Amino acid sequence: MRKFSIVLQYELKEYFKNKSFVIVTLLLALIGGLALFAPRVFDMSGFLGTSSAQEEEMEVIEGEEGTMLLYDSENLVNREMLKEVFPNIAWVEVDSTDTIEDKINSEEALAGFHVVSYTEYDYYVLNRGLYNDENTYFEAVLQASMRQAYFEENNLNGAELETLFSTPITMNEQVLGKDSAGNYWYSYALVIVVFMLIVFYGQMIAVSVTNEKSNRAIEILVTTTTPNSLLFGKVTAGAIAGLCQVGVILGAVLISYQFNRGLWGGMLDMLLNIPAEVLITFALFGIGGYLFYAFLYGAMGALVSKTEDVSKSSGGLMFVIMIVYFISLMQLGNIDGIVMKVLSFLPISSYSAMFVRIAMGTVEMWEIIVSFAILVASIFAAGFIGARIYRMGTLRYGNPIRLTAALKELRKSK
Amino acid sequence: MKLEVKNLRKSFAGTEVLHGVSFEVKSGKALGLLGRNGAGKTTTMRILMDVFRADNGVIHLDGKAFKPSHEKIGYLPEERGLYPKRTVIDQMIYLARLRGFGTTEAKNNSKKWLKRLEVEEYETRKLETLSKGNQQKVQLAATLVCDPDMIILDEPFSGLDPVNSQILKEVVSELIDDHKLVIFSSHQMSYVEQFCDNIAIIDKGEVVLQGDLREIKKEYGQNRLILSAENLTLQELHDKLSQSGKYPVKIDGRTKDYLILRIEDAVTKNELLTTFIHSDIRIEQFGTYEPSLNDIFVEKVGDEA
Repeated sequence: MRKFSIVLQYELKEYFKNKSFVIVTLLLALIGGLALFAPRVFDMSGFLGTSSAQEEEMEVIEGEEGTMLLYDSENLVNREMLKEVFPNIAWVEVDSTDTIEDKINSEEALAGFHVVSYTEYDYYVLNRGLYNDENTYFEAVLQASMRQAYFEENNLNGAELETLFSTPITMNEQVLGKDSAGNYWYSYALVIVVFMLIVFYGQMIAVSVTNEKSNRAIEILVTTTTPNSLLFGKVTAGAIAGLCQVGVILGAVLISYQFNRGLWGGMLDMLLNIPAEVLITFALFGIGGYLFYAFLYGAMGALVSKTEDVSKSSGGLMFVIMIVYFISLMQLGNIDGIVMKVLSFLPISSYSAMFVRIAMGTVEMWEIIVSFAILVASIFAAGFIGARIYRMGTLRYGNPIRLTAALKELRKSK
Repeated sequence: MKLEVKNLRKSFAGTEVLHGVSFEVKSGKALGLLGRNGAGKTTTMRILMDVFRADNGVIHLDGKAFKPSHEKIGYLPEERGLYPKRTVIDQMIYLARLRGFGTTEAKNNSKKWLKRLEVEEYETRKLETLSKGNQQKVQLAATLVCDPDMIILDEPFSGLDPVNSQILKEVVSELIDDHKLVIFSSHQMSYVEQFCDNIAIIDKGEVVLQGDLREIKKEYGQNRLILSAENLTLQELHDKLSQSGKYPVKIDGRTKDYLILRIEDAVTKNELLTTFIHSDIRIEQFGTYEPSLNDIFVEKVGDEA
C-alpha cells in the first residue's frame, strides 16, 4: 500500500508538472468559460428563446420583407388579416398562375399563393429554404378566414366562440415515481461525460503504462516494487488527473454560467438542479465504470512496448465502449426494458445503464447493491489481471502481445 | 552475507540456456561473471533479481531462501532505462522511496550519489538532455541510491569513457571496502582483474571455471615459463625449441614479447635454465608465467572477449 501511494504521488505530480497537460486544461477551461459569455457579445435571443412576448409576436411578422402574390378569384382570404400577419409584405393581386410563375422566376416576388378553396391552395416559391414558413402563416390566415365566414353565415359570435375554444387549463402535476422527461437531459449529459472521460483518458493511461516499457525503465521498476503497486498507482493517477482536468473545465463553465445565467434564460438550470441521489449514483457508477475501463486500458498498454502500438491493442476495447454507449442512449426511451436491466449488471455497461435506470426508471435497492458490488470486483479483477500482463510483458519488446495469447500464458503460469 | 547460487537451469521456448549454473560470493568480495555474448550472464542476473523464474535450482542468502524484494539490492540492468522526460533528481528520489527511504533521506542520498558520480550539476535537468555517458552515471547513481548491501551490475562499464570508467572503478572499490557484496559482469577483463576476488566464467550456459582469481592465475601459471632471446626472433626461438627436441619444454603460447613454455614433468626450472645457458640462446627474459585474466578467458572460452 505504501509503494502504491508512492507510485500514485509520483505519477500524479508528473501529470500536474506536465506543461502541455496544464496548458490544455487551462485553455479548455478558458474556452468553456468564455463560450458562456457569448450572449453578451452576440444577439442569441432567437436561439435561446429569451425575447419578450411582444418581440415574439412581431417575430412572425418581421420574418420577411418584399412582395408576395395572391391569386384569389373567389375572394376567400381575409385581406386585413393577411396584412396583420405579414405587415412588411406588399401583397399584389394577380389573375393567373402564369403571372405568379413569371414574377417569381424574375425574382420580382418572394412567393405566390393561388387559393383554390378554403381547404386547398397552391404555394409558389423560387427556392425553398430550410426555414421557409410563410405558407404556414398563410394557411393559418386561410383557416381563420374560413371560420370567420362560417360565423358570419350562421350569425354566430365569433369572438366569444374563439375565447371558449382557447380557455386555459391549469394542470397540477404529481409525479409519484420518476420524471423521465425531466431527468432525460441531464442523464443524457452525464452518460456523455463518462463516455468522454473513458475515451479521452483511457488512451492516455494506456500510453503512460506503455511508456515504462518503451523507455526500458520497467526492469528497474519490477525489481524495485510489485507490479500491482505500479499498475494500480499509474492507472489511479491517470484516472485522478483526468477527473481533475474535467473538474476544472466543468467548474469554469459553471462559474461562467452563474454570471451569465439571466442571458441564457436559465437554459442550463436543469444541469445545476440534478437531484442528490442522481449525483451520488453518478459518482459511484460513473467513476466506477471509468476506473474499470482505465484498468482495462492499462492492461492493453501493458501488451505493447511502443506507444504507437497502443491504439492497435486498445481498438477492441474502444469498440465495446462505443457499442455500450449507443445501446444506452438508444434505450433511454425504454428504461425498464430487459436490455437495460441486463446491461445494468454488466461491469462494461453498468456505469451508464444502472445510472440511467436509477435516474429515470424503477430500481430495487438490492439491484443497485449487486450491480455496484460486481462493478467494484471487476475493477480490482481488471487491475490484477492488468498487473499480471504487465509483469508478464516485462522485457518482451517485440511485436504487440495478443490479448488471447497473454491470457493463455497467464493461465499456464498459474 | 553469503550468497549461494546452486544449479540454476532456465529454458526459453524449449531451449535450455542455463544448464546448472552455480557459484557463491560473500560480503566484502566482488564476483566477476564473465562470458561471451549470449553465454547466460544476464539471464543469471535476472534470475537473481527475480525478473525471470529459474526452472530449477536454488539461491540462498546466509543459508535461507533468497528473496530479492526483502533485501536492499542495487541493480543495474543490461537494458538501461529511466524516464527520459523527467528530471534526474525526481526519478532518483522516486526510486529511493520505492526502496524504502523517506522523502528527506531519499533526497539527501540522491544528492550524495549524484555528487559522488560527478553529475550533481544535472540534477534538475531532464534525463534526455544529458550525454549518453552522463545518463549512464545517473543510472549508476539510481542503482546505489538506496545504499544497498548487495550490488548487481550488468556490464557497468559499457558506454563509459576512460575517465568515467575510472570513477566507476573507484566507486566499486569503495563498495567492496564497505563490505558490500558485489556481482558484476563485464567484457573488460582489466577492470575485473583489478577488483574481483572471485570469477565465474560462463560458457554456453555452464560455469566452466570459477574460484579465487589469484588461485586460478597461480594454477594456470604452474609449470609455465616465459622466454625470449636477444639473438633470436620469437619465430626463430619457436622453431628452435620445437624442432631440436633437446629442450624439455612444450610451447604453450606466444605473446608479442615472449613465448609461453610448459616444462615437462620431472624437470626443474633450474635445470631448464642451465640447459638454456649452455645453449646458443642468449636469454633476454626468463621467468614464471602469470596469465592475465584475458589469457585464461580465451583459453577457457576459446575466443577473444
